[in-house]
Amino acid sequence: MKARRVKGLDPAAPLADELQRIVAVRVDEVFGFMPQAADPGQVTALHDLRIATKRLRYVLEIGEGVFGPYAGTAIKRTKDLQDLLGEIHDCDVMSERVRARAEAVAVDDERYVGLEALATFMEARRRVLHRQFVHFWSDLEQKGFRERLEEELAAPA
Amino acid sequence: MAKAREIPGLRADLPYAAAAAATIRVRTQELFDHAEGVLDTSDIERVHDMRVATRRLRAALEIYGPCFEPRLYKGVLSEVKALADALGARRDPDVQLEGLEALAGTMGEAVKPGLEAFGAVLRGDQLAGNTTLAAALEHAGAHDLRGRLDALADGADNRMAA
Repeated sequence: MKARRVKGLDPAAPLADELQRIVAVRVDEVFGFMPQAADPGQVTALHDLRIATKRLRYVLEIGEGVFGPYAGTAIKRTKDLQDLLGEIHDCDVMSERVRARAEAVAVDDERYVGLEALATFMEARRRVLHRQFVHFWSDLEQKGFRERLEEELAAPA
Repeated sequence: MAKAREIPGLRADLPYAAAAAATIRVRTQELFDHAEGVLDTSDIERVHDMRVATRRLRAALEIYGPCFEPRLYKGVLSEVKALADALGARRDPDVQLEGLEALAGTMGEAVKPGLEAFGAVLRGDQLAGNTTLAAALEHAGAHDLRGRLDALADGADNRMAA
């Protein structure tokens, strides 16, 4: 997923102003993938949300010293979200590869049971992780993550 | 994972381009400090540390993009992305193998042939990833990635001086 361009950034402008403008665009990108990503079948939306979250995390990390006190909490929240989405993505990639190998061997092949068990484990783990993600997102919304980011990062450290 | 080094003099009122120059210098140093021994498959943490350093440098390049000379920037960013991809190609199977070995320890004998078969696939990925990484490191050295990153930082500083 290509990052949305932040227009009009000025190399001579104060760092905090320009980083705040980048954060505003990246937050908008992250929230743009919901509610689609709440559907476990929306693999692309989940993947794109992971990438958008990573971009938001990095700009927050770069600006941690110049943003307001909420930046540290926001970095932790985005890292936790990114880790969860990363694990879901890993399960998607691994289960597809393992499933393909399980389907390529005969049922009476000695490798079949292990490959089938591994694929089933990955698929089950993915379902659990997605439920955790939906709960995590709901918690972010309840705690006003977006609103706090937009309001408190505007107050320089 | 190593904590990111602090950027000296980074303040809210610092010009965006001056912050770009300072950040790229520190993140470049971090990257090359972690380059030693990354092709050693017996110590998987070296690859991890260099991958994290590459991610931080790439993020800084993207966030400070408008502060750099466009042509030089485009080539450097593309090379840092290629290095990050190569590090990922080595790191991903490292992690997957660790996970598979941990899982194998919790499962019965009947599943072992299948898990071992998939482990062999991942070890093949690991070797291929090492070849990809060796080529990316050689390319970065041959094309003076470090010198071009320094030139990018100098260019951002010069924009402020002009």
